[in-house]
Amino acid sequence: MMDKMIFGRYVPAESPMHRLDPRAKLLMVFIFVFIIFLANNIATYVVIGAFTLLILNMSKIPAGFLIGGLRPVFYLILFTFFLHLFFTKEGDLLFKWNFIEVYENGLRQGIFISLRFAFLILITSILTLTTTPISITDGLETLFNPLKKWKLPVHELALMMSISLRFIPTLMEETDKIMKAQAARGTEFSTGPIKNRIKAIVPLLIPLFVSSFKRAEELATAMESRGYRGGEGRTKYRLLKWESKDTILLAAIMVLTVLLLLLRS
Amino acid sequence: MIRHQKVKTLVGIGMFSSISYILMLMNFPFPGFPSFLLVDFSDIPALIAAVIFGPAAGIMVELIKNSLDYMMTGAVTGVPVGQIANFSAGVLFVLPAYYIYKKISTKKGMAAGLLAGTVIMSLVMSILNYFVFLPAYTLFLGAEAMSSAQAKQMVVSFIFPFNLVKGFLITVVFMLLFVRLNSWLEKQTVYKNI
Repeated sequence: MMDKMIFGRYVPAESPMHRLDPRAKLLMVFIFVFIIFLANNIATYVVIGAFTLLILNMSKIPAGFLIGGLRPVFYLILFTFFLHLFFTKEGDLLFKWNFIEVYENGLRQGIFISLRFAFLILITSILTLTTTPISITDGLETLFNPLKKWKLPVHELALMMSISLRFIPTLMEETDKIMKAQAARGTEFSTGPIKNRIKAIVPLLIPLFVSSFKRAEELATAMESRGYRGGEGRTKYRLLKWESKDTILLAAIMVLTVLLLLLRS
Repeated sequence: MIRHQKVKTLVGIGMFSSISYILMLMNFPFPGFPSFLLVDFSDIPALIAAVIFGPAAGIMVELIKNSLDYMMTGAVTGVPVGQIANFSAGVLFVLPAYYIYKKISTKKGMAAGLLAGTVIMSLVMSILNYFVFLPAYTLFLGAEAMSSAQAKQMVVSFIFPFNLVKGFLITVVFMLLFVRLNSWLEKQTVYKNI
């Protein structure tokens, strides 16, 4: 269960992308997801490709890691490519062999759409690869702060998210321990008919719920004894600082938007 | 005391979200369905949170679980279409179950609520898949948009039966849990009359 491929997992490193403010990165990704659909000809794809490469280069994530993580998605990209290549029958005939016919538009669509797919995945994963979940939570909390006016519990949500993040490793360890303890008593989690496997989850869940509930009680008491009294006037240990490089990133994505609007056909 | 309950609720929701996320990682494909439709028991912590802390807590657990999944695992579509679909399915399952259990607070009431949740979730998710999620998937994956006949075929032969099976499996496991945890749950329940 722990060896599950996790593509977007944080990679600690020192890079310009890592040092950017999480809010700037969140905004950049959010805008990127929309403007990538503006690209529709060679010039726009070149521009957006250059932007993606620049961001990747700035993140200092080893290329091998990116390629390894992309492998499962790679087949999907390849599949999309061939789907477009063989089934679009417009434009000039480029190539014919038996029943396989490749048309100009099919080739172009195939390349464009696979590229768009790859860029989208690379940029969205750069956010989680270079930002710790805790800073993403902090960033989201400040970005959504204005929504407090409409009674959205922004602070509470961010707090629950941080607690949850903090306890994932602890509870995973505990799950593992309980699984081993139950396996020692003869429970089979990964073999046998599906009915038995489903039943086996019950003796795993009961101790997990009861113990996590006790933990919650203890943590709540500990928080109060340290003076936690909600989000009003709470100060922070980690402060987010918006610097000029964050403004530059946002300016870059704005320039990209304008370029795409000018170049698209 | 009231504040203590509030802090405890916040912390409890956080904890249940972690469990929910861990259970989500332990997902498995169900024989006979395509491999992107995965069964997991991550709705169970949300149900328990709803019973103990109230319906909003159930929604919060579903929300945090999916945000964590997007932050830690990412999405093949880039945009979290799968996570939004999972969130809608979770909420559509937990809320009917919760409200029916509030009306009839017995084991039978819980079972009826869960089955009602299964049916409501399967029906509404079929509609949402047809109009929102399948088009969103094909859009972000860059695949050819499905024709309405294809999409209908997909919904009728896979998504609707899959959600029924998934809801039913969760119902069975939750009832097994609920029978054993009933008295414990009653002791923990914070909001008795909402």
